[in-house]
Amino acid sequence: MIHLDAAFSQQFTPAELPAAVRAALGKPLRRAAVLTQLALLGAFAALPAERRSLPTALLWQSTSGPRLETLTLLAEIGGGGGEPMPYDFLATQPALAAAQIQPFLPGLQAASHVPLDNAKDANWGLLLSLAMAWLNEGRYSQVLCAQLDHRSDLGSGHWLLLSRAPGTASLARLAMAASEPSGLPDIPELPARIAHWLASPGPSRRQLESPAGRGQTVEFARL
Amino acid sequence: MARTVFIAGSGLFCARGDSPSTVRDALWAGECTAASRQLGERRFPYFPLPLAETDWLRRAEQAIRHVGGQLGNLPMDTPLFVASSSFQIGHFEQQGAPFAMPVGSASFTRQIADWLELRGPRYSFSNACVSGFSAIDAASTLIAAGLIDEALVLGVELANASTLAGFAAMELLSPNGCHPFDARRNGLVLGEAVAAVRLTAQPGPWQIVGQRNGLDGYSTTGPDPAGNPIARVMTDCLHAAGLTPADIDLVKVQAAGSPGTDLAEARALHQVFGPAMPPLLSLKPALGHTLGASGIAELAALLACIEAGQVPATAQFAEPDAEIGLAPTAHRQAADVRCTLLNLIGFGGGLASLIVARDR
Repeated sequence: MIHLDAAFSQQFTPAELPAAVRAALGKPLRRAAVLTQLALLGAFAALPAERRSLPTALLWQSTSGPRLETLTLLAEIGGGGGEPMPYDFLATQPALAAAQIQPFLPGLQAASHVPLDNAKDANWGLLLSLAMAWLNEGRYSQVLCAQLDHRSDLGSGHWLLLSRAPGTASLARLAMAASEPSGLPDIPELPARIAHWLASPGPSRRQLESPAGRGQTVEFARL
Repeated sequence: MARTVFIAGSGLFCARGDSPSTVRDALWAGECTAASRQLGERRFPYFPLPLAETDWLRRAEQAIRHVGGQLGNLPMDTPLFVASSSFQIGHFEQQGAPFAMPVGSASFTRQIADWLELRGPRYSFSNACVSGFSAIDAASTLIAAGLIDEALVLGVELANASTLAGFAAMELLSPNGCHPFDARRNGLVLGEAVAAVRLTAQPGPWQIVGQRNGLDGYSTTGPDPAGNPIARVMTDCLHAAGLTPADIDLVKVQAAGSPGTDLAEARALHQVFGPAMPPLLSLKPALGHTLGASGIAELAALLACIEAGQVPATAQFAEPDAEIGLAPTAHRQAADVRCTLLNLIGFGGGLASLIVARDR
């Protein structure tokens, strides 16, 4: 049985982000791109200190990716003859985020970045299906699933935390189920939709629309 | 439900050839010549695709359609998993400022699906050098879970100045060649590749028996010198496959010629295999390091070799390094390889091991 232990969203302006990181860590996270800082803040919000050493995977998707950093790099190398400042290149590499936050999340064992190919749709169905399969086979104790985006005026993180063992913090159960019409749309803001559903009276179960599931989809059930 | 995942076919286009079989023949012949790319006042060896087209997007289309054509007729609803570290950044470079980047950071995947005439779900993975195995892991997981029946997993890494300049700025590139596990090793040599594997629940000769990904947060640019995280991933992968080190007939090592990473991988191999080291093969001196495509390109090349009963020599290895204490295959040999482990060690801390076996 897979449990949903957290569902929340965060937003930070460029001015708020470094202060939030300092508040979380007690120090700045040096030479960390915005997406890395968002990853750290969301992971810390999802995982209390006693859970940060448990075997954990991070699956994160992004519509923007390191767009602003990539534009900076493109401008810097110009016609192709120049070499960028090393940090400007590193900032374009989303894979670095997990390695940079691992010292603060010692249980983080693996991470995967899933960039999205359009602004409308997300891949929560993929992330949750992978998380559930890996939890069921015992690869990890918990899987953080996130959507992280970075615009010039705002950074946002949408988070779901799945675990194998039920805890006092569990919000819902997850299972694969035969898909039915009118599921929740697979959009970046899904965690907010889930949180709203859990906080309101309503149906006992909600399903996620899935494009790929051979008739199977992720179903959330109230506890 | 936990179904076995099989490899139903593969496609490959890289500096050594335009199909798995031509690459196999080139590897058997020991071909490893590289071209070069100029960057400011520096010049680096480089393994380009043998394509005359200079327009980035048309060149990409040619390469991707070519590899897609090697995989036979795919149902239109086949899920597509794309792995890349750079997607179409070379196209943006060629267009120049103002750079018209679409909103979705993996918008190139939509274009790839159109070229391959696939209308099913599309997923993208960008985890630097381990992207290919991330994509294979995701597709395999969904097939094993019974959520999909087959998948096309495609890795693409095509020439661009951003990656070359970035790696040059980090002083990660060799000025004279890729020398894996060699005392003369002094950096990577980048290359281009488009490669694909078709995964399925339908029985076939090769199956994916184990896969594990890992993370090494020692540094953003290099692994723990002791190799402990790399060893852990290989060990976890063996456990996942229900195998022991003695079951592995051949290891396709990462061994890109990087001073620190090669040493860390060697130390990890010593930890896992001890004195009973299986033969080690690096393909990067012949193919180049094709980054996000490397896992799939090297898997496709390796399968072509061992299906033919061939283990090629590791090119450009000549001077053993006492600190590494390992020598990759120095001479080509006929061999019946039934179980092989492939390692990837990524820029940015990503790690991955994959085990494929036949006729289990």
